[in-house]
Amino acid sequence: MAADTATAPAGAPGTVGPVAHHFNNMPQQQASVRFGMWLFLVTEVLFFGGAICAYTVYRLWFPKDFEAGSAALNVGIASVNTFLLLASSLTITLAIRACYDGSRKRLMRHLVLTTVLGAAFLGLKAREYQLDYVEGLVPGNFSYLTKEAKKEYDEAREADPSLPVEPESAFNENLKVALHHAKLKNKDGQPAVAGQDYEPSRVQLFFMFYYSMTGLHVLHMIIGLGILVWQIVLTATGFFDYSARYVYIETMSLYWHFVDMVWMFLLPLLYLCGPHNFQQVTEGLAQAFGAGGGH
Amino acid sequence: MATATPHAPTAPVVVPKLDYTPQAVPPPEPTPAEDRVRKHYLNHDTSLLGWLLTVDHKRIGLMYLVGVSIFFVAGAIAVGLVRTNLITPTGAILELDQYNKAFTAHGTIMLFLFLIPVIPGVLGNFFVPLMIGAKDMAFPKLNLASFYVWAFGAMFFLYQLLVGGLDTGWTLYPPYSTKYSHTNVLYAGLGIFITGFSSILTGLNIIATVHKMRCPGMTWGRLPLFVWAMYATSVIQLLGTPVLAVTVVMAAVEKLFGVGIFDPKIGGDPLLFQHMFWFYSHPAVYIMILPGMGVINEVLTCFSRKNIFGYAAVAWSSVGIAVVGFLVWGHHMFLAGQGYYLSMVFAFLTMLVAVPSAIKVFNWTATLYGGVISYQAPMIFAIGFIVLFTIGGLTGLWLGTMGADIHLHDTYFVIAHFHYTMVGGMMFAWQAGLHFWWPKMTGRMYSDFWSRLAAIVMLVGFALTFAPQFVVGYLGMPRRYPNYPEEFQIYNVMSTAAAYIQGIGYLMPAFYLTASLFFGKRAGNNPYKATGLEWSTTSPPEPHNFPATPTVYFGPYEYGVPDGLSIVDKMNGTHTNGAAAKQGVTSGS
Repeated sequence: MAADTATAPAGAPGTVGPVAHHFNNMPQQQASVRFGMWLFLVTEVLFFGGAICAYTVYRLWFPKDFEAGSAALNVGIASVNTFLLLASSLTITLAIRACYDGSRKRLMRHLVLTTVLGAAFLGLKAREYQLDYVEGLVPGNFSYLTKEAKKEYDEAREADPSLPVEPESAFNENLKVALHHAKLKNKDGQPAVAGQDYEPSRVQLFFMFYYSMTGLHVLHMIIGLGILVWQIVLTATGFFDYSARYVYIETMSLYWHFVDMVWMFLLPLLYLCGPHNFQQVTEGLAQAFGAGGGH
Repeated sequence: MATATPHAPTAPVVVPKLDYTPQAVPPPEPTPAEDRVRKHYLNHDTSLLGWLLTVDHKRIGLMYLVGVSIFFVAGAIAVGLVRTNLITPTGAILELDQYNKAFTAHGTIMLFLFLIPVIPGVLGNFFVPLMIGAKDMAFPKLNLASFYVWAFGAMFFLYQLLVGGLDTGWTLYPPYSTKYSHTNVLYAGLGIFITGFSSILTGLNIIATVHKMRCPGMTWGRLPLFVWAMYATSVIQLLGTPVLAVTVVMAAVEKLFGVGIFDPKIGGDPLLFQHMFWFYSHPAVYIMILPGMGVINEVLTCFSRKNIFGYAAVAWSSVGIAVVGFLVWGHHMFLAGQGYYLSMVFAFLTMLVAVPSAIKVFNWTATLYGGVISYQAPMIFAIGFIVLFTIGGLTGLWLGTMGADIHLHDTYFVIAHFHYTMVGGMMFAWQAGLHFWWPKMTGRMYSDFWSRLAAIVMLVGFALTFAPQFVVGYLGMPRRYPNYPEEFQIYNVMSTAAAYIQGIGYLMPAFYLTASLFFGKRAGNNPYKATGLEWSTTSPPEPHNFPATPTVYFGPYEYGVPDGLSIVDKMNGTHTNGAAAKQGVTSGS
């Protein structure tokens, strides 16, 4: 008796929920909604695939330069962020189950948890961008010379007066300082990233990919959080008390899992492709939660 | 009682057997008096918001029709300036930079705002649900959103035109676009990104609709070939457009931040942009032509009163074009510094993609063979399509051959080639489809005389515009140059004069189609006596398309069956006189 379910008050227990006007029945509606999200994810794969493809080309051409760039990134924040995102994948999955079971309270709890975890990721990511900026790891038009890099450059100039008054590339000087602080050693005790190993302009190329790919990922996270907040509001109004509407939580979770998957690709491509040590993780975290920025 | 489980059990799929038993009593057509008071999708809610916020796929289709028509006029004005300028060897009316902006405006508007959205947006939106017996698209709100996203993206193109235009050509190649051009590359890029998003959403919607919304009996083997073509188109939209989007993002980042992903100075590679650009933009020409090919199937079968020759071959060739079309992009870069052996592979694959197109052309001619052909306007357009598309396709093979391409690359030969496919092909298919389905969309017949005349004027104007360009291109006139040697003037003057004729041809439908809305005679449900499912409902259709969910008993082109019309009537859900014929096979699934 479809008419019964269509006119039942919102939140009536034990009802599947009304079928939208253009569908014949609930299975058709659910299958369409699910299928639509999978199709959308196909386009997303191609979207990030394009960027990853371009990245791969340059990584193959300039492996050393990309490793140098990667070595200057904050792996501490990236590690914590990875944990946060994976945890949020668990909570959104539990949310599907809660909605399927018709438990508004559990659904609410898991949606809020997912939102908090996602927001924490974004907060840390923002802190990381800020630290990158303070360290002067900004390529192109917006690059500037940090104080520390200027000090080191001036010292170098006293030793070798033939150097120009202003460094040729502010980015390069900043990068040297950042890598110096990383103190990465290889097995023989030599610096893992030596100055002659890389071409600064190509490291800038790495940073372009770093900013644009993580930026696109952040954009997807923001959109996902927006949908999550919307679903929390809907949960509060009893929209999801119709148990068949678990499919909307499920499609949301598909999207959310996809965004996680993208991060699971970005993490090795950007952060793990260069030499790192455990000390960097702790230092990165100390930096993130410490009082100051920079070193 | 509906069960409480969220997973309602799926009903077993019933496929009605093939059955040509005619309707015992044909359903009554509404009389003119009844028709005047009948509620249909056009008049059931005439408030402004009823139109602007509609989720009805038919109304959204009409909104697209208005939108793309406006941009077609804008693109046509731009090319009018270009052609007029080319009357004299030194440029008749435009400064050099204005000329660059005029041809760029023509290219960007015609491609992104007309050719890509026109058939998917208007005819696809309107007829895919009707042809598969659905009440609406799978995601009606998304459908409306994709229209507004498109309109929003189009605003960026308009803004960019108003504040000084763009001079990079529609291809936006770096380093010119990212470093040297001081025109509005960013706004145009944003426009491409946003309209691309709309294109993705439309494609997604159509695929989901075709998969999930087919009525009982509408098996994949009974789908109209227009739907197959739209399906293949949507696959390309879904897979290609995001790559263009991310390419544009990278180019924009490069322009904004001044660090070049495509800048050779720091190790970037401009060729990478071309690879990624053409990875979308070559399949994009199939986004433009495939829906047109779909329309031709419907029109040809109807006006030659024959079933399509080789249904499966035509259906799968659409999919074949969609797949192989993704593997040929490198033929745009034979002379751009691409590896020699890579070029050879691309040249081979380019030959390969001609095969499914040729399958279609052969099947169309075989369909015409022995048919009872009547030359109404849609048929004239359709035959024009076959002739012009064949010329365009075959000259494409010249360009796909590496040796010949060295001579012909970036000449007017290329211009003539793709206008034969895009205008001679797509534009004629669009006109064919618009004229074929106009009675269904509006309930009115247009003038037979004027429509045939317009078709002939367009055909003549078109052929005379672009045939000289093959010659002048072969003689070596490069594209995108405002100046040329004096001996080329005769060809350019011919071309320009014919372009004006063409322009008149394109203006004519605007008048007689508009006039038909007020003075045209009522079309009735099925003015062409066609057998597609969309003709079994009223014209214009009611808000939910069919009185009840229809059932399909046979393929879409059953013109060979005696009394074909009454079998169409049988599919309409309200008329169940032939109920005895409804015993279906049950296949649990």
